[in-house]
Amino acid sequence: MTDSPPKKGVFNATVLMNRSLGDKFCRLTLELEKKANIPFSHASAGQFIEIDISKLALPAEKLIPQHLSDSAQRDIILRRPFSFADIDCNNDTTVVEILYCVLGPATLRMKTLKIGDSVNFIGPLGNGFKIPENRKLALLVAGGMGAPPLIHLAKVLKKQCPDTELIAFVGAKALAGLAFFDIETSKLKKETDIALGEFSRLNIKTFISTDDGSAGVKGFVSESFKNWLTKNKPDDKDTIVYACGPEAMLSATAAISSQFKLPCQVSLERRMACGTGLCQSCAVKCRDKANGNTIYKLCCKDGPVFWSDEVVWE
Amino acid sequence: MGIKKNNDINLSVNLSVNLGKVSLINPLITASGTCGYVDELDDFLDINQLGAFITKSITIKPRLGNDVPRIVETDSGMLNAIGLANIGVEKFIQEKVPMMERYKTPFFVNIAGQTIDEYLAVADKLSQCRRIAGLELNISCPNVKQGGITFGTDPALVRQITTEVKKVVRDKILVVKLTPSVTDISAIARAAVECGADALSLVNTFTAMVIDIETQKPVLANRTGGLSGPAIKPIAVYLVNKVYNEVAKPAGVPIIGGGGIRTASDAIEFIIAGATAVTIGTGGFINPDCAVKIIQGIKDYLRRQNITAVAELIGSLK
Ligand SMILES: Cc1cc2nc3c(=O)[nH]c(=O)nc-3n(C[C@H](O)[C@H](O)[C@H](O)COP(=O)(O)OP(=O)(O)OC[C@H]3O[C@@H](n4cnc5c(N)ncnc54)[C@H](O)[C@@H]3O)c2cc1C
Ligand SMILES: Cc1cc2nc3c(=O)[nH]c(=O)nc-3n(C[C@H](O)[C@H](O)[C@H](O)COP(=O)(O)O)c2cc1C
Ligand code: FES
Repeated sequence: MTDSPPKKGVFNATVLMNRSLGDKFCRLTLELEKKANIPFSHASAGQFIEIDISKLALPAEKLIPQHLSDSAQRDIILRRPFSFADIDCNNDTTVVEILYCVLGPATLRMKTLKIGDSVNFIGPLGNGFKIPENRKLALLVAGGMGAPPLIHLAKVLKKQCPDTELIAFVGAKALAGLAFFDIETSKLKKETDIALGEFSRLNIKTFISTDDGSAGVKGFVSESFKNWLTKNKPDDKDTIVYACGPEAMLSATAAISSQFKLPCQVSLERRMACGTGLCQSCAVKCRDKANGNTIYKLCCKDGPVFWSDEVVWE
Repeated sequence: MGIKKNNDINLSVNLSVNLGKVSLINPLITASGTCGYVDELDDFLDINQLGAFITKSITIKPRLGNDVPRIVETDSGMLNAIGLANIGVEKFIQEKVPMMERYKTPFFVNIAGQTIDEYLAVADKLSQCRRIAGLELNISCPNVKQGGITFGTDPALVRQITTEVKKVVRDKILVVKLTPSVTDISAIARAAVECGADALSLVNTFTAMVIDIETQKPVLANRTGGLSGPAIKPIAVYLVNKVYNEVAKPAGVPIIGGGGIRTASDAIEFIIAGATAVTIGTGGFINPDCAVKIIQGIKDYLRRQNITAVAELIGSLK
């Protein structure tokens, strides 16, 4: 037994809000029970929680999107991992924000959470983004559903490193995929540097790209990131890259960062059974820096944030 | 045994059970591969409250394990194909065994291999560690190409491996863990018991598959995996009862039963079926502290049933 206070645990939270953002995304705001305050006051951006969804009911049949009507019938037993989009510890109260995308039976059930409902979760889990000192410029690269931990990180960087300039590159398949950023997507203009709600409030210059060109420039976010680097050539000693999104986009961002010799941290996703390092299901192929051997690290325990040059990209 | 229905909340109940000469303060054990090596559960529960701890499978050399995806959820269960990823016996003895000193709980180390020699080498090294109470022989892992389950499906091989390992384990308890993926589990159990197994552990996972219909490929990189969780519980209860009646009871050998246990009533079913102790695997992923809640639930049940010792319940199926 250890004598230090637990760094993580099983806790309950009360739903303060659960609101739709566009038709596929939602924002869930949770107030944590008091005994979670200490572990969460030390939590960092990029860490996550495992929510128990097994006891939630499905939405009414007419509210289930057609493409999920079949898979919605599946039962849930395993908890589901979600990053924080924000943590606010104030006067003994901890409020956590989750941004989630409705993709399958678990996230569909989460939509039925109402104000006052109780949610059971494990956390805070994993290792978040590391914030090295003396970086004048931080580049955030978010693809698709990868936005939540970077929104949190942006808030933390603004507070902890007020002198660091932040620039964001945000990509999605189409305009509707940007809804995580709390924008009226219908009002979005087709310009390359329009500000998204979450980032404009923090005064972060943002470059948007969509695969179909329905918002920002047409193309992948990694391309717009690369174009910017080619044009602006930031100093490798002053700059750091943070990325989260689909694995192919992270792999491209890692390659581009290394081409420009920029240190880069990526937040990875794996299927997780336990989220706490017990089951070894969430393996991430890595290179042992000491001897070059291939090793597996655990996404839930060693990650989900890794240095991009330690990951073996396939 | 006369079971009287009579609630007595003050009744003092005895939860201790014996696995051979090792006595456990209660029947709750962590299942191999689901609770780490030693201290990983510390933030969630007090390991000293458990009857015993069974570690992840240990092999002679470190193993990286399979490619991902290694797991997939199913209705009321999950498949895993971890591929016995572990740090290897040397590092385990160097780094993990000393940690066991922090606890009072008996530790059982689960061992696996691809050849009998590998099993013997691991068993020999671990048997020299004073703190280890026993070894659990994993002859039932469905997720490695050679060894593993093929040992567990052939009674002649089970005889050979049990006999040989028994010679090197010295004073340690030898538990043999059976696969349910066989035609007659009692034949395998009998082979193990006749060759010196001090206890039987059942069941390991059931070989199974999930197909991604969009790609028409299996979801798991290993193609197949082992099914665990609530989905397998009624089959596991049946198999425990069968092995209890046909082999364990006549031979006086205890059973460590498990498969899908999440609640106290699940655990009690296994004990009534013939298990002396019970394991929590997948249930702990859902609720990391469920073992502690189950211990309390068993106490409440015994009081409700006016039974003074859990040992009286073992194999009490009418
Ligand atoms: C560390 C971590 C942090 C996460 N943070 C967030 C977050 O902040 N917001 C959010 O919306 N989602 C997040 N996710 C993903 C989220 O956990 C899954 O979308 C969710 O579990 C889907 O559950 P479901 O039952 O609704 O859908 P499922 O039926 O389980 O999945 C629907 C589809 O998504 C795919 N999928 C499911 N889980 C994953 C995964 N882990 N990686 C890649 N593909 C997957 C499935 O293959 C399937 O095609 C995170 C995942 C991890 C590992
Ligand atoms: C992720 C995972 C990893 C496992 N690893 C091992 C292992 O290394 N050795 C072993 O003997 N059994 C292993 N098992 C099997 C469990 O110990 C247990 O026998 C099985 O899961 C059934 O119990 P449950 O339904 O309570 O999980 C593993 C099971 C799971 C789910
Ligand atoms: S999810 Fe179980 S070890 Fe990472």
